[in-house]
Amino acid sequence: MTAAVLTWTARLRQRAFRSRPADRAPVVLRHSRIYILPTRRGFAIIATLILMLLTSLNYALSLGLALTFFLGGLVAAGLLHTFRNLAGLEIKPLAGGEAFAGEPLAFSVALAAGAIARRAIELRAAGVMASVSLVPYATQAIALRVPTQARGRIALGRITLSSDQPLGLWRGFAYVHFPLTGVVFPAPELNAPPPPAGAEGAGERTAGASADSELAGLRDYQPGDPLQRVAWKAVARGAGWFSKSFEGSGGQGTVELAWAPLPAALAVEARLARLTAWVLACERAARPFALTLPGVQLRPALSREHLREALTALALFDADTR
Amino acid sequence: MQATAARPLDPAQIRALGVLLVAAQLPLVVHLPIWVAAFGLFVAGLRFALLRRDGRLLRTRPARIPSWALALFAVAIALALRKSYGYFVGRDPCVAFLFVLAGIKFLEIRTARDGTLLACLAMFVALTPFFYSQSLLGGLAMLPAIVAAGVALEALARREPGATDPSMRSAWTRSASLIAQGLPIAAGLFLVFPRLATPLWGLPADHAAQSGLSDRMAPGSISELSLSDAVAFRVTFDGPPPRPADRYWRGPVLSLFNGREWRALPPRPGGSLARGDRPIRYAVTLEPDDHRWLFALDLPSSLPVADSGSVASSGPVASLARDLQLVTRTPLTRPLRYVQESILGTRHPVASADELRIDARMPPGNPRAVAFAQALRSEHPGDRDYIATVLRWFRDQPFHYTLQPPLLEDHPVDAFLFDTRRGFCEHFASAFVVLLRAAGIPARVVTGYQGGEINPRGGYMIVRQSDAHAWAEAVVDGQWQRFDPTAVVAPSRIERGLYGSVPASDPVPLFARGDSGWINNVQLALDAINYRWRRNVIEFDHDRQRTLWRNWGLDGFPAWQAAAVAMAAVLAWAGAVFAAFAVKRRRGERTARLWNALCRRLARAGLPRPAWEGPIAYASRAAKRWPQFAIAFGAIGDAYAMLRFGPVSDDERSALVATLARAIEVLPSPAALRATAHT
Repeated sequence: MTAAVLTWTARLRQRAFRSRPADRAPVVLRHSRIYILPTRRGFAIIATLILMLLTSLNYALSLGLALTFFLGGLVAAGLLHTFRNLAGLEIKPLAGGEAFAGEPLAFSVALAAGAIARRAIELRAAGVMASVSLVPYATQAIALRVPTQARGRIALGRITLSSDQPLGLWRGFAYVHFPLTGVVFPAPELNAPPPPAGAEGAGERTAGASADSELAGLRDYQPGDPLQRVAWKAVARGAGWFSKSFEGSGGQGTVELAWAPLPAALAVEARLARLTAWVLACERAARPFALTLPGVQLRPALSREHLREALTALALFDADTR
Repeated sequence: MQATAARPLDPAQIRALGVLLVAAQLPLVVHLPIWVAAFGLFVAGLRFALLRRDGRLLRTRPARIPSWALALFAVAIALALRKSYGYFVGRDPCVAFLFVLAGIKFLEIRTARDGTLLACLAMFVALTPFFYSQSLLGGLAMLPAIVAAGVALEALARREPGATDPSMRSAWTRSASLIAQGLPIAAGLFLVFPRLATPLWGLPADHAAQSGLSDRMAPGSISELSLSDAVAFRVTFDGPPPRPADRYWRGPVLSLFNGREWRALPPRPGGSLARGDRPIRYAVTLEPDDHRWLFALDLPSSLPVADSGSVASSGPVASLARDLQLVTRTPLTRPLRYVQESILGTRHPVASADELRIDARMPPGNPRAVAFAQALRSEHPGDRDYIATVLRWFRDQPFHYTLQPPLLEDHPVDAFLFDTRRGFCEHFASAFVVLLRAAGIPARVVTGYQGGEINPRGGYMIVRQSDAHAWAEAVVDGQWQRFDPTAVVAPSRIERGLYGSVPASDPVPLFARGDSGWINNVQLALDAINYRWRRNVIEFDHDRQRTLWRNWGLDGFPAWQAAAVAMAAVLAWAGAVFAAFAVKRRRGERTARLWNALCRRLARAGLPRPAWEGPIAYASRAAKRWPQFAIAFGAIGDAYAMLRFGPVSDDERSALVATLARAIEVLPSPAALRATAHT
C-alpha cells in the first residue's frame, strides 16, 4: 500500500519536475511540460493594473476600466505567445563531450524550431546558460559548456528551457532530463617528467621531451600509417598522400605506461595526472603506447580511439577497486 | 534574476519607454496648468536630446544628471504645486505631480528595473485624463499609449541589443496585433466585470474650478457663463418638446441679497409637487458639475428617478426643497441620467410664511432704486398693477440687452437702472426683484437655463451653458408667479435664444449661433455621436450592467456557474487565438510539403538530393540535368530559399508559396523526366 502510494507520488514528482534522467530523445514540448509564471516585471505590471482597476472602479471611470482591460488583454495575449514560443519546440540530445578537468565540458543538444520562429529560448543546465533564436524550420545545435573540476563521469542533469518573449511579463519553462553524460579526463600534470623510454631503441633517446618531434621528411603513405602523421597540407594541395617521418621516432618504439612503476610517494590523483600527461606526450609524438592500470590493460596502439580509451580509463579509474 | 533587473538599458529601449511616456502624458496636458504641462514634457524631451547627443558623440559614458539633483527637482515641483493649487493632498495636485514625476524618472532611468517602474508609472498616467474628461476624443487619445505600452514592454524584454524579429513586422504592428488578440478579453471584462454601486473610499472633495451655475450671482456672473459652449445637460422627451417660451429649466433659487450679490438659502424641505393633467415626461443627462441641484422644467411634478435603462431600480435621487429646487444628497461627480416629469406652469403656492418674510428683506444700499420704487408704489397700490408698471417701465426706457455690460461699482442696481441701462439677464432679474422688494412685495431671483436646441440627428435637446438665464418670482395673490424682465426688454431672447437677441458685435459662443450653417450641422452630428458614447460607454455603470445581465439571463447565476461560464469563455478565446496561429503555420507547412514532394519526384527521376545540398544548388543541378525546365527550377530554388531563409512579409510569403506551387506544377512526371534527362 505504502509502496504503491510512493510510486504514485514519485511518478507525479517525476512528471512535474523531471528529476530523473528518463527522457528519451527527441522531446517535443507540449502543454503537459510547459509551465508559465509571471516574471518580476509581470508582477509589477499586474499590480499596476489592479491599482488602475480599483481607481477606475472607485471613480466610476468607464474609460479607465476600458484602458485597464485593454492592457489586461495585452498581458493575456502575451501569455499565449509565451506559451506558443515554447510549444512544439523539439529538443534532442546530441552528445556529452569530453574535457580535461578544469576546462569546460561541452554538452550539445539540438533544437528544432518547427513551423514557427522561436525567440530567445534560454537553456539552463548545471549552472550554465545558452540562449538561441530560431527561424522557422531551423535546427540548431547548442553547446552548454559546463565547468569541470574533478575527473570522472558527469551528467548534464536537468535542462530547463525557458523564454519570456515577447513581452517579458511571463516566463514559460519546461524541464527536460536526458541521460546525457560526459567524461572528464584527469588534468595532465604540468611539467611532467618525460614518458619512460620505448621498448626498442631506448638507447637512442635523450632526456629531452621534444627530441622525438624533429621532422625528418615525407615518405609515401602506406595504409595503416597513423592519421596523425599524414601530411594533410600536401593532401589538400592535391599532391597526393604522404606520411611525415620524424627524427628519433625510435622506429615506432612502443611506450609502456603503467601504474605500478610510478614512485610510491605519488598519490592516486597525482599518478593519474602524470599518466595523463604521458599519454598526451605519446600522442603528440605519435608513438604507440600501452597503458596498464590496476584492472585495466590496454594494448599498444596509436589512434584516436586508443587515446580516448586510455584517457577514459584514467578518468574513470576507481582507486578502491584495484 | 537579479542580474537581469540591473541590466543597463540600451538607447533603443530608452527611446521606446520615452514614446510610451509621452503618449501617456499628452492627453493629460490639456487638463494641467500650463507650466506643469510644459515642464513635464520638457523633462521628457531633455532625455531624448541627451540620447541624441550621446549617439552623436559616441562617448563611453552617457551624459547623466545626478540623482540628488532630480530628487531636489521633485521636491521643488511638489512645493510649487502646493503653492499653485493651494493644497497638495488631493486628486488634482497629485495627478500633476505624477505627471512631472514620471518625466523626472524618465530622465534618470538606467537599468531594466527602472524601465519596469517607468512603464508602470506611464500606464497609470495614461489613466489620469479620465478624471477630467471621458469624451470620445479622450477615448481615442488613449489608444497610442496602449500600443506604445506593448512596444515598450517588448523592447524591455529584448535580450540582444538591436535584435530584430524574423517576422519583419514593425514593433508597432506586432504590439497592435497583440492588443487585437487581447480584445475579446478586454471587451468581455468591460461587460461583465462588476461595477461598484458605491465608491470603495471616499472621493476627496476637490477644489477644482466648477463650471455651471452656482449658488450665488453677482453682476457679470451669468454673462460670463454664457460665453461657454459647454453642454450643461441633454434631454430626451417622451412626447413633443415644449415650446421655446416654456423652456424654463429651474435651478438654484436665490433669496439672500447684500446689495450686490445674490445667494441661495440652504435647502429646506417642504416643497410640494405640481399637480395636473398630462405632465411632460423626459430624461435628463446632466454633466457632473460638483453641485447638488438637478434641473427640471418649471414646475416639477415628480421626484427625479435615476434612469439605468431598467424599470425604476431605486428611489428618487433628489428631494424637493421648499423653493422647488431639486437637491441631491451629495455633490454630483459623475454624469447622472434621471427621469423627470413636469407640468408647464408659471404659478405655484407659497410654502410657508417664513418664505414671505425672508423674500421681502431689503438690504441697505441702492437708495435711488428704493426711492424710485416707493414713489411708484404710492401711485400703484395694487400688487399686480405695480408689477405691470415696473415691467412697462423696463420696456419703455432705453434698456439694452447685451453680453458686454459696463462694470458697475457701488450701488450696482442704482447704476444699472438709472445710468448705464445696459445689462444681461442677471442685471434685469436683480433690479426687478429689488424694485419689488422695495415696494414690499416678496420676490426672489431664480437661476437656471432657458431654451435648448433640438438635435435632429439624435432626437434630443442640448442645453448649453450659453443658455444660462436668471428670472424672477414674486408673490401675487398668495402665489408665486414667474416674471421675466429680460423677456420684456429682449423678447427674442426667449423665442430665439441668445444669439438672436444680443448685438451682433457681442462675442456669442459659436454653437449658440443657431444659424452658422454647416458648422452647426457638423457640430450637431458630433454631439449626437458623443451622446451615444456617453450613454453606452461612459454611463455603463452598476445599474446598466445589472440590466444587461438580467437581459442575458445571467443575473442570479450561482457563483460556480458564472465561474464555469467565464472559464469556458477564456478557453474559447485561447482556442481562437491558437487557431489563428495554426492558419499561419499551415502556410509554412505547405512550403515544406511542396518541397519534399519535389525532392521525392526528382529522386525518382534519378536526381536525389543529398542532405547537405541547399535548395539553390540542388535546383541548379536539376536545371543542368533538364535544361528545358531551367526557368522552373530556377524559380523553385529561389522561391524556396527565400521562404525558408529570407526575411519575407506575410503578403510576400503567400506570393512565394503560389510561385513555388505553380513552378512545380510545370514539371512533368518522374518517368517523363527520367526519359528526357540530359546527361
